[in-house]
Amino acid sequence: MSGLALLAAARVLALTGATVLTGGPAGTIEKGTVLVTDGVITAVGPAVAVPAGATVVDLAGRFVMPGIIDAHSHTAVEGNVNECTDAVTAEVRIADVLDHRDVNIYRQLAGGVTTANVLHGSCNAIGGQNAVVKYRWGQGPEGLVFKEAPRGVKFALGENPKRANVRAPGTARWPATRMGVEALIRDTFLRARHYRDEWAAYERRRKAGAAGLVPPRRDLRLELVRDVLDGTVLVHAHCYRSDEILMLISLAEELGFKIRTFQHVLEGYKVATEIARHGAGASTFSDWWAYKMEAWDAVPHNAAVMASHGVRVSLNSDSNELARRLYWEAAKAVKYGGASEEEALKMITLNPAWQLGVDRWVGSIEAGKHADLAVFNTHPFAPDARVEMTLVEGQVMFDRAKDVQARSAR
Amino acid sequence: MRAASVVLPVLLAAGAPLAAETVAIVGARVVTVSGPVLPRATVVMADGRIAAVGADAAVPAGARRIEADGKTLYPGLIDGLTTLGLTEIGSVPGSVDTTETGDVNPQVRAWAAVHAHSELIPVARANGVTAALAAPQGGLVSGQSALIRMTGDTQASLTLKAPAAMHVVYPTGRPAFEVSQLFQEPELKTFEERQKDKKRNQEKALRRLGTLLDEARAYGRGAGAPAADGAGPAPDLPLAALGPVASGALPLVVRADAEEDIRAAVRFAAERGLKLVVAGGLEAWRAADLLKQNDVAVLVNVDRLPRRESDAYDAAYTNAAALHRAGVRFAIVSDDASQSRNLPYEAAMARAFGLPAEAALRAITLSPAEIFGVADRLGSIDAGKSATLVLATGDIMDHRTQVTDVWIDGVPQSLETRHTRLFESFRARP
Repeated sequence: MSGLALLAAARVLALTGATVLTGGPAGTIEKGTVLVTDGVITAVGPAVAVPAGATVVDLAGRFVMPGIIDAHSHTAVEGNVNECTDAVTAEVRIADVLDHRDVNIYRQLAGGVTTANVLHGSCNAIGGQNAVVKYRWGQGPEGLVFKEAPRGVKFALGENPKRANVRAPGTARWPATRMGVEALIRDTFLRARHYRDEWAAYERRRKAGAAGLVPPRRDLRLELVRDVLDGTVLVHAHCYRSDEILMLISLAEELGFKIRTFQHVLEGYKVATEIARHGAGASTFSDWWAYKMEAWDAVPHNAAVMASHGVRVSLNSDSNELARRLYWEAAKAVKYGGASEEEALKMITLNPAWQLGVDRWVGSIEAGKHADLAVFNTHPFAPDARVEMTLVEGQVMFDRAKDVQARSAR
Repeated sequence: MRAASVVLPVLLAAGAPLAAETVAIVGARVVTVSGPVLPRATVVMADGRIAAVGADAAVPAGARRIEADGKTLYPGLIDGLTTLGLTEIGSVPGSVDTTETGDVNPQVRAWAAVHAHSELIPVARANGVTAALAAPQGGLVSGQSALIRMTGDTQASLTLKAPAAMHVVYPTGRPAFEVSQLFQEPELKTFEERQKDKKRNQEKALRRLGTLLDEARAYGRGAGAPAADGAGPAPDLPLAALGPVASGALPLVVRADAEEDIRAAVRFAAERGLKLVVAGGLEAWRAADLLKQNDVAVLVNVDRLPRRESDAYDAAYTNAAALHRAGVRFAIVSDDASQSRNLPYEAAMARAFGLPAEAALRAITLSPAEIFGVADRLGSIDAGKSATLVLATGDIMDHRTQVTDVWIDGVPQSLETRHTRLFESFRARP
């Protein structure tokens, strides 16, 4: 893999000779070429003309796939991911506490991850705002932000928001039941609706030239929930049991908002039809189970069953460790429930891209998308699979050969 | 109390619904582990044991013949560190028996409490794990583990060897984590003060452990000598349990990750003539020389983050390969219960990062059998050993491979689990 040192500066980059798992309509391309110009994929195919002056990287024998997208992460969060003091904390923002120096970013690049949905914790029925990040390692705090990504917010149902497993000292926080969680979300949305109407009335009067108007008091919490009602903020709802999944669908349809993803959603396989009908995605663990009561009916076939019912499924990590081997988490969807390899690959690329609202830019190797790529020594599902190189927008963010070389120099 | 290792007669104790049958598996690629891979061979099992292995092995008259062309036959996988049988649902205390109260519990015995009807056992078995070390956790001395097989309807029928080892958590000097700490103001101390506290706590715990072993030795001598009044010494279960550890007969599994803790544990064991096994061993690669010199085996968990921020990103992945190169004995373990089924994939990660494929497989079969003293019965496909076998559609370390058949002591096992039952109930729900 010579010439890699030049890659960072190259305007036009041609990755040649690899098996390209595009994750898009082109499927798998043997001995394909991926052409990258200024960080954007400009061509991909078996017979792409390489322009003069392009930096050519020979990847014969290797496999290239889209950069992996982790739809549930807490990487690069400085300190606690949970603002637990209230059951609704929609005003707090993960983007305010991102640590761009977190070594886990680099470690996950070494596992092929290029984009992550950094979520607030699951302490609250309606928690804080997410940050969709690009792993632009070494480019400062602003460099982490995935600028095109829509805003999102964490919801949580079940044991965590009702504080079943972690009990803080002092007066118990409301709610303590799944009934209470439902009532709290309902109440918050009704108040947000009222808040929206208050502001609309104020604007109407102001435009009509009314004198002596006092604007309503700004409420950052309700503002965010209002934006959920308006469809500009995506809801990522942590959940486990099928009853709470159905509860939120019915509440959302009654109050007029959409759930973008169910997160964890370990019993999604029991209500896959309802999830598909609502149009929500599902972001799950491949095979975690038995760690708490609400994870007791988890099955490793969950991803494949939901996918077969038409749900856009992703496999996530929720862990700095697991994030480094999501390519093997995807392979488990083939083993359990019989997803096709192509479908399984989408569970860590195109499907999470859609779930985060960034599929126009990432998630597959297609002309016009960001050149976020993971290069493997063999097929990513194979037992010898190892990431050799990871690119974000055409820039090499991880290069195993260089990493190993740097160690021996130390 | 009998302190010596008890090896239970497995076949007599077996309570499985199906009997050991005479079976010939014909045409599979046979990965013997102890010897070369046989590209196409026959394996015959009878009376719960492997009767013959070889390309030309004859199929006995009356044997059930299983055509296994294109499949691969492995010895049953052995997970050398788990809490299988001791835990069901992590957050439900009533279902968890991994951790006794207090610091010193050598007298607690996993095989007294392994839950034969745990839903976790068939799940591990369905992916080829046929035996596991069920080990207590926590405190300073956690208790005694048993090697159990993944079938049976009583704890006795599960138990292959008990005790298999005594388990100790190497004292780091840091107080054990408790949830309540999350809600307390941190103690304001300088780095030096904290280091001093840590060292003092650690030394105290080590002195305590050393004293316990000295007392166990003395207790053992006393137990053998007739007392003047004829009553003998007062019974002391903890000291009696530690006797075989102090004499070097029973392996002492010490959980330690940091290089300095691993090195100190090796010295501690060497000074006292203990038979040490390191568990966890995140930085074992940094102490490989010392581990090799002292012939200390390591139970490695591969899928972990490096211990230090400055470590290579793949330090945990390459750990096993480094131990292999240095000639250190090791097994790859899940160090879990519900994730035990992923044992072959832990081995795969070590393999992707430099551990030869044969060594990776050995680390989840014959090596743990050797470390826990059952290699005469388990861990490889050899005539005379237990017919504990796994038939798979391909490379067992490949996530896409399906396990199609499992035999434990010659008895075919159901591959149905809580998961397959739920899957079948809901897969076609409209």
